[in-house]
Amino acid sequence: MVSAKVVIKNPTGLHLRPAGILCKEAMNFNSSVSFKFKNTTANAKSVLSVLGACVKSGDEITFVCEGADEEEALATMVKAVEEGLGE
Amino acid sequence: MFKGTSASAGIGIGKAVNVEEAELKIKREAITDPEAEKARFQGAVKQAMEETGILAQDLATKVGEKEAEILNGHLLLLSDPMLTGEIENSITGENVNSEYAVEKVCNTYADMFASMGDELMQQRATDMHDIKTRVQKILMGVSSVDISALPEGSVIVARDLTPSMTAGIDPNKVVGIVTELGGKTSHSAILARALEIPAVVAIEGFLSQVSDGDDVILDGSQGVVIINPEDSLKAEYAEKREAFLKEKKELEQYIGKPTVTKDGTAIELVANIGKPEDVEKVLHYDGEGIGLFRTEFLFMDRTSMPTEDEQFEAYRKVAVAMNGKPVIIRTLDIGGDKEIPYMGLEKDENPFLGYRAIRFCLDRKEDVYKPQLRALLRASAFGNIRIMVPMVTCLEEFREAKALVEELKKELDEKGIAYKKDIQVGIMVETAAASLMADVFAKEVDFFSIGTNDLTQYTMSVDRGNDKVSYLYSPLNPAVLRSIRHVIECGRKEGIMVGMCGEAASDPMIIPLLLAFGLNEFSMSASAILNARKLITGYSTKELQAVAEKAMSYSTVKEVEDYMREFISHS
Repeated sequence: MVSAKVVIKNPTGLHLRPAGILCKEAMNFNSSVSFKFKNTTANAKSVLSVLGACVKSGDEITFVCEGADEEEALATMVKAVEEGLGE
Repeated sequence: MFKGTSASAGIGIGKAVNVEEAELKIKREAITDPEAEKARFQGAVKQAMEETGILAQDLATKVGEKEAEILNGHLLLLSDPMLTGEIENSITGENVNSEYAVEKVCNTYADMFASMGDELMQQRATDMHDIKTRVQKILMGVSSVDISALPEGSVIVARDLTPSMTAGIDPNKVVGIVTELGGKTSHSAILARALEIPAVVAIEGFLSQVSDGDDVILDGSQGVVIINPEDSLKAEYAEKREAFLKEKKELEQYIGKPTVTKDGTAIELVANIGKPEDVEKVLHYDGEGIGLFRTEFLFMDRTSMPTEDEQFEAYRKVAVAMNGKPVIIRTLDIGGDKEIPYMGLEKDENPFLGYRAIRFCLDRKEDVYKPQLRALLRASAFGNIRIMVPMVTCLEEFREAKALVEELKKELDEKGIAYKKDIQVGIMVETAAASLMADVFAKEVDFFSIGTNDLTQYTMSVDRGNDKVSYLYSPLNPAVLRSIRHVIECGRKEGIMVGMCGEAASDPMIIPLLLAFGLNEFSMSASAILNARKLITGYSTKELQAVAEKAMSYSTVKEVEDYMREFISHS
């Protein structure tokens, strides 16, 4: 299991469009991809789960990946968030 | 007669068609073959996704990518493994029918989103209801009202239009839209304007008053709807409709045309807005930018100061929507004419000569001005934002504001936050003092924008709202015209842009004079833009020089007005 912290920069937080892009990235991996935020853990492969975490701009989340391709998954997710998730 | 909110201009005369759908009755039923039921559910989701995909494409080509985004969002939700997984578990675990499982799971999420209490999350709750209904209809074999098959001359009547409904509207057949819910910026309103169908929204209880086939007149410009009108009234509105269409057609020829005078002077024709949502209208009328974005709306009708992020979001939205075109944003212009308790603004004996605008902001740097300027700088990374300082009377005020901008730029540099490095900072010229000192200001500011409403008021020492003295209020008064001409000349001498964001900029009597003086930028309400373009492209600035000279030779406002009236009636 690997994990990394990252700050959400999208101005409206993790709303539908950025959440959709986050999920699409996560689905490319066999590993489980989730993130911890406040007291919840969200499944990064589910838009509803990501939306439900209610992550706002400037919030810090912790990605947790577990599986055969966990290292690559984690690096990809962090990069996607840092690049602004398509916004 | 019913009064609602005018959502899309124009007159519609036709027959009412209620497109509201009967509510689906979802019953919990026990099933015997959970695997087959699961397959039935999966088939319905697949079909729902296909239908939604087609609708999204249709909407994207007919109206625009932005409108289709809602439906693309539905696709994301329909393909969510957590959602489908939970529904499947409910089917196989509880042995219940798909319709019920869909109802239960989707409602859980809709309620969750609705309870988050933020506007975007409310939209997600609506989305959940939309996709739920779509899947259930497929499961139950219920067909939707086919809006694309409505007869010619239909007036659509509904509680509210969903994105799925609106995708099918054919503007050749639908002559009007009336809804019980919604507002100027609701989905139905935006779509009606994009399709140029007259629309009136927010008429409470309308559905119970109208039957299918009723004659309906709606005036989308006035927000008025009439059911089964008398023949004379019908004829009157038919005439109004013709006149509206004729004028519209004439002005539409000017969409996409450059604003250049006959002798080749390029003019910037831009719009005044008060809220980010107004941008849609600006783009519709082919505005070439924003000449005045008033920021007061962010501070009104609330009990606490808007945060920097909230402001940033509003400014960014406009900058992005205008896509690189200039967006002049005026910093807070507020004073004792409005009581805002949380800001410590009290009723002022003489509010327009008192503690307001830049005077107030420079006194409240830490909690008011710096957050606004920082939000503006941050937003400038997303478009062509320019900062405009209002009600400046002396150079020190501008210098102090400019120094604050520089200080904040350094702060952002240190934090590595992006902004437009060469962001322009200009002033609104609206006081007699600023006008008289325009030559001095022109050496330090990046642009002028003449605010004629206040400039006239301050120059003539007249309250336009006071009926007993309002006759003194006219931008065609020689004193005001001299002031305007002086400001334009000073700006031109230093090579800075000079614009105008008061009502005079769209006044047919004044436009010829402004062109002759050499004004670069005309900013007005979006709906006035095309008419102004028609006027400007019909003039030659060289030929107007003689007109301006003549107009400026008169001593009284009456002489100027008579002369200009005479001139425009012949041009």
